[in-house]
Parts: sequence; structure tokens; C-alpha cells
Amino acid sequence: MSKVAISVRDIKKSFALSHSGAASLKTALLWWKKKRIEKLEVLRGVSFEVNHGECVALVGRNGAGKSTLLSLLSNIYKPTSGSIEIDGKIAPLLELGAGFHPDLTGLENILFNGMILGLTRKEVMERTPAIVDFAELHNHIDSPVRTYSSGMQARLGFAIAVHVDADILIVDEVLAVGDYAFEKKCYDYIAEFRAKGGTILFVSHNPDSVRKVADRCIWLAAGEVKMDGTVEAVLTAYQAAGDER
Amino acid sequence: MRENFKELWRFRELMFAMVERELRIRYKNSSLGFLWSLLNPLVTVAVMWFVFRFLLGNQTDNYSAYILAAYLPFMFFNMSLMDSAQSVIASLPVVKKVYFPREILPLSAVIANFIHLCLALVVFFVFLFAVWATTGFQVAPFTWKIAYLPLLLIPYLALVTGLALLISAYNVFYEDVKYILSVALYLLFFVTPIMYFSETVFYALKNRPNGQLIYTLYHLNPVSMMSTAFRKALVPPGKIEVIDNGVSTMIGPRPFDYGLFAVTVVVSFALLFYGYHTFNRMKWRFVERP
Repeated sequence: MSKVAISVRDIKKSFALSHSGAASLKTALLWWKKKRIEKLEVLRGVSFEVNHGECVALVGRNGAGKSTLLSLLSNIYKPTSGSIEIDGKIAPLLELGAGFHPDLTGLENILFNGMILGLTRKEVMERTPAIVDFAELHNHIDSPVRTYSSGMQARLGFAIAVHVDADILIVDEVLAVGDYAFEKKCYDYIAEFRAKGGTILFVSHNPDSVRKVADRCIWLAAGEVKMDGTVEAVLTAYQAAGDER
Repeated sequence: MRENFKELWRFRELMFAMVERELRIRYKNSSLGFLWSLLNPLVTVAVMWFVFRFLLGNQTDNYSAYILAAYLPFMFFNMSLMDSAQSVIASLPVVKKVYFPREILPLSAVIANFIHLCLALVVFFVFLFAVWATTGFQVAPFTWKIAYLPLLLIPYLALVTGLALLISAYNVFYEDVKYILSVALYLLFFVTPIMYFSETVFYALKNRPNGQLIYTLYHLNPVSMMSTAFRKALVPPGKIEVIDNGVSTMIGPRPFDYGLFAVTVVVSFALLFYGYHTFNRMKWRFVERP
């Protein structure tokens, strides 16, 4: 394994902007001559590297491109230009329990979600008891997920994600779920994950959690890296910029 | 295309889990489960049989078997396309959050319906045996031609998969596609030999100018050709009542047109490749839908 876990080089991403709302054949036929495509440039050339074992926080205002960047790393978008290299198995946690089907039981959803995250059927089966333990859902695991509270769904989603044995975790503001005890469990897990040499890239709007887990911080502003450095330095500058407004 | 196929292969377990999930959801929320989903074609065919036999007075032998043999594959065509039209757009919230090859969505909709078709065909054979037993063992339940069944199912599956990939991709960007589709499928039912026979069409067109041409065009519709082919393979030949020159006549089945069938097979596989290619070209833009 090389030293660098995530390498992002000059990533640009733009989206077609629509004012008409939902697409329809009618609008396509009416407007086919005036192809008024407006481009929204979300990322304008972002470059950085994350080393193995590092925990990097992404901060920035809404619309700065943080989530787009994480989605690009999770292979959900293709970049307009630039390159991304990832060394190791990646587990994206963009939304806990994305892909849960409300009519299926907790167990069935574990199997399905585990496979979406890249495990084989056999691997999921082996890990199911540990996942149920972690999520603390023993009494509910045979009930359909639609009967779960949102906190229970999030717990199950997190439990599955942390059991896929990834080298790199990509986390988008999902840790602020569940009660205090579960939150503590998540942070304990993250500490353990880091102790084993795992790499984390996460987005957070909470300075306390950034200070707690991150050892480096990247500030994204208007689709560009505005600052990249130690947590204290970046957070101080970021918060100062926020206070000015 | 090869890269995409490799990636799909890597995720094959997820695809089968998704098929399992679709079947489970379909059969889960009711105690009768699978039987419910069979009830629809059986009741439809019973009504069609009643209308044809009693209200229109058609004397064709084993008529209900003829309709079922064409109607079950047509329902597979219909349900697969309707399900896959919705498959990507309904899963867009997941597609935006998790990576997996997007073609899994329409493909699993088609495979789930295909499994359903196979189960329905098993019930169809039970039905044939029941007819055989109750009619004093007169009408044979099947002939050796049933060996052709897999050879029909493969190009048919290719046809449905190709169309499903195309429709699911276009429906993400133009949601009118599914409305057009439902109208098209409704009309297709009438221009496909399901309630009537390709023999009926042949005799109706026989003495018309360009009759032969229209007959050929009619069978260039792959679903028409497949419908006829399924009947030839599944139902033992009996006498069919057709109107020849204004006179009702009982005739034996006409020979199968292998040339036109070959065209259907070629068209089906061409659509499969075109559909797969188009889907892969469009799939990265699904999440960026305006």
C-alpha cells in the first residue's frame, strides 16, 4: 500500500441548471432549438491528498461543494474533469440507511444493504449478529423497517456501514443521530477504527466534533480549497469569516 | 461495453438479492401471495374465453389454452416494461447516495417478472392436464414441440431486457415515457394475436390487395411473432374457427413462418445491445437530472 489513500487532482464538476423543474418531452420539444443550458460550476479545480490513517474534516458553507465532493469520491458522479485515485476499500456513508426498504424486516435489510456496500451474501450472513448487537435492535430485527423510529433506522444504517471492513470511511454529517449513548458508541468506534489505521474523510458543521476526531481540516469555499491545514488554524479562520458576515 | 459488463458481473449477487427482494415484496403483503398474482391472468382469460365462446360464438378447440399461451408471455412483457420504467426513477434517492451499477435496477425488475412467468407456465401446464383429465383424455396436454420453449424464451427475454433498459433510462429524463408506454401497451394488446389467431389475420387479409404485405408487417412486430410462436410450442394443434371470404370455417393451424421468426430473433438481440449501450451511455447522468 502506498502512503496516499485518497488523491484528488484538479477536480471540476458542473451541473446543468434547469429553471423549468421536472423534465418532460413537451419542454424538450418546445425548447430543442434554444438549448438554454446554464452550467452551475460546483467544484472549480479542487486538489488535495489524504494519507492512510489520517482523519480529515471538510468544512464550508452550504453550497460550497462538500457533498458533491464526497459523492464524487463515492463514485456516484463522474467528474467533469480531473482525476480521483483511491487506494483501499471505501465505505461511503452519505446517508444512513439509504436503500432501506420499509416493507422488509431489519434482517432482510441488513442483507440487502450489506451487499450494496460491496459485501458478498456469505460475508453479510457472518456479520449479521455483530451488526444487530451494535445497533442494539434485538427485539425489533424481525419487524419491518417501516415500524422503526428514525433513530433506530439510523443506528441500523450505521451498524451495517461500520461492519463492511472498509479502509476508508466517507461520512457526510450523519453522526448527529441517535441518543447520547449511541453517539458515544459511534465516536468510540471511530477511535477504534483510527487506531487500526483507518482513514476518514468527513463533513461536519459541528466544530466540537471536528476538534474531537479530525487531525486536519480542509475549508471549501465556492468550489475551491480556501484553506488546508491544522484543525485549529482552519477552524479559527473559518469561524472568523462567518462572524464577519 | 466489456468494462460495464465486468462491473455488472462483480455485483451479480446484489442483483439476485434485488430480484429476491422484488418477489418477496410482491408476495409478502397478502396471505395468498403468489396465487393473487396468478388470479389476474386467470380471471382475464376466463372472461375472454366467456366472451369468445358464448357472446361471439367462436367454436375453436381448446380456446382458453390458446389465450393463456399467448397472454402469459404478453403479461410478462407488459409487467416487465411497466416495472422497469419506474425502477430507476423510484430508486433515485438511493442512486444519489450509494454506488452500484444502475442497470441492476431494470434488470432485476425483468428477472423478477421472468421468474414469475416461469411459475405461471408451471400453473399453465397443471391447467392443461386438468383440461385433459376433465375432457375424457381427448385433448393431449402437450406435444414434443414443447422442447422449443427455451429457444423462444431466450430471444423473448432479450427483447424485453433491451426495451426495459431503454425505457427505464429515458423515463428518468422524460417522465411522459411511462404514460406513453401504458397507452402503447394497451394498444399493443389489440394488434397482437392474443384474443384471436394469426390464422384469423391471414384469412381476413387473404383476398385483399397487399394482403400478404400487411400480414408480413403485422408479424414484424416481435410481440406478434412471439405470441404465435408460444402458441405453436405450447398448445397441441386443434381446429380454429376463422372467417374465410365471409364464411365461417374450421381450419387446422397454418405452418410456422421460420423466416419471419428469424427476423424477430435478430431484432430482439439488436434491441438488447442497443438498449444496453444506451443505458450505459446515459446512466451517469441519472443523478444529475435537472
